[in-house]
Amino acid sequence: MAGAPDGGTVLSEKMLAARFAEVVLPHLGDALSLARWLTGNTADAEDVVQEACLKAHAGIAGFAGGNPRAWLLTIVRNASYTWMAKNRPRSVVAVGDLADLDDVSPPPDNDADSPEAALIAKANSAAVEAAIARLPQAFRETVVLRDINGLSYREIAAMLGVPQGTVMSRLARARGLLMTELGGRHEPA
Amino acid sequence: MSPHENRPREDGLPEDPQDMKLMIHALVDGELDAAAALAVERRMAADPDLAAEHARLVALRGAVASVPRPTVSDDFLARIAAIAEVKSPEQAEAPKAASARAEQQLQQQQGKVIEMRARASRWFNSFDWRQMAASIVLTAFLASGATQWLATADNGAESFAVAVANGHRRSLLAATPVDIVSSDRHTVKPWLDGRIGVSPPAPDMAKDGYALLGGRVEVIGDRPMPALVYRHHEHLITLVAAPRQNEAKSVPMADDLSAGGFLLVHWTDDAFSYWAISDAERPALDDFVARFRAAIIANPAAGSPG
Repeated sequence: MAGAPDGGTVLSEKMLAARFAEVVLPHLGDALSLARWLTGNTADAEDVVQEACLKAHAGIAGFAGGNPRAWLLTIVRNASYTWMAKNRPRSVVAVGDLADLDDVSPPPDNDADSPEAALIAKANSAAVEAAIARLPQAFRETVVLRDINGLSYREIAAMLGVPQGTVMSRLARARGLLMTELGGRHEPA
Repeated sequence: MSPHENRPREDGLPEDPQDMKLMIHALVDGELDAAAALAVERRMAADPDLAAEHARLVALRGAVASVPRPTVSDDFLARIAAIAEVKSPEQAEAPKAASARAEQQLQQQQGKVIEMRARASRWFNSFDWRQMAASIVLTAFLASGATQWLATADNGAESFAVAVANGHRRSLLAATPVDIVSSDRHTVKPWLDGRIGVSPPAPDMAKDGYALLGGRVEVIGDRPMPALVYRHHEHLITLVAAPRQNEAKSVPMADDLSAGGFLLVHWTDDAFSYWAISDAERPALDDFVARFRAAIIANPAAGSPG
């Protein structure tokens, strides 16, 4: 048995626990969404998020305000890639590929009109899921962070460590691919 | 390719069609300020290609939004919540152990006295031991019970209401009822965000007779919570907004309560559990609550950060 408990330490531990409950717990759904899209399945996502939450708890004192969701998702993303590197080394995209991906492609031909938008809107969720799952990793995470997790361009850029313009072009490419697939248009070459 | 290439463009938007497309994405994503949004909308009105792209993007966003999210199972939530609680049993253990130790010493001293007084029967000694054990158990029970109460002070609405009332009373006695003085939610919300990482909607209701004075941080059940202070004639209204916990029960209809001589109204929405308290009359408080709720619904932007 050690000496009498230090009052200050106990208090700050409690504050940290309260902070964890405020900062982390409300965003578990978003954390699971992101981990699920990055790892590819729900069971792995729970493992990854649990791992991430352990890290979040260890680092909760370092959370300096701002958007708690973006903070947690940054940790979840890192945990996802650590997990992928360990468990599925082949599926991790090499960094070299990203530069190619970020080249802005020539605009796909835009002869389409409203019927295409209607097709996209009517796409069932299974088709949307499959289309998102088929996106290259860098595009997938950008579109998931924006359209599913609802982060801003600035938050995504900070998280990925890329310029905001890159976030915008990746988002546009990702959505272009999704629209092509869901709108029943031919793949632009 | 663009039909407007020969027209001079003074709207500050990119000439490059590819970059212009990014602006459409930014518009759909709510990333443009009002001036830029207006300029992009003007371009769209003049360019069917851009308008079609916009329609596709809006459709895509709807389609992606309809993808089911993974649900947070109770089991998983409990597992994660347990991460933060790892330390708590030890903390509960420490004072318990300390008091048990003190008890033991006391008992040992008493034991000596007893020893000197009469080296009586074994029966007496065993009785003494049982008494000691019982008192340790009792102390431990009280210590853990107290810890538990502190940790889950929001389990009973009543104890929460009392805590809210005490906070309100203290604020009336303090030099100033608020930590941040401002009638502007753009000042109050970031201040709260910066202090405790959460801020409730703070609509300005001065025209309804409820002026926003500012905000402060209340600590209830060892959790810091944002509180807004409004003035209505000579009365102050404190509005504590506790971020909703998953287990907290929903109170969509305003619930009239009272605690510590103050009137309270309690209700919840998707994000917060609200407690409005005042020494004003019940009709005034009810009117405040009704207007506050209407203001949030009418202007959800008041709830967004900033």
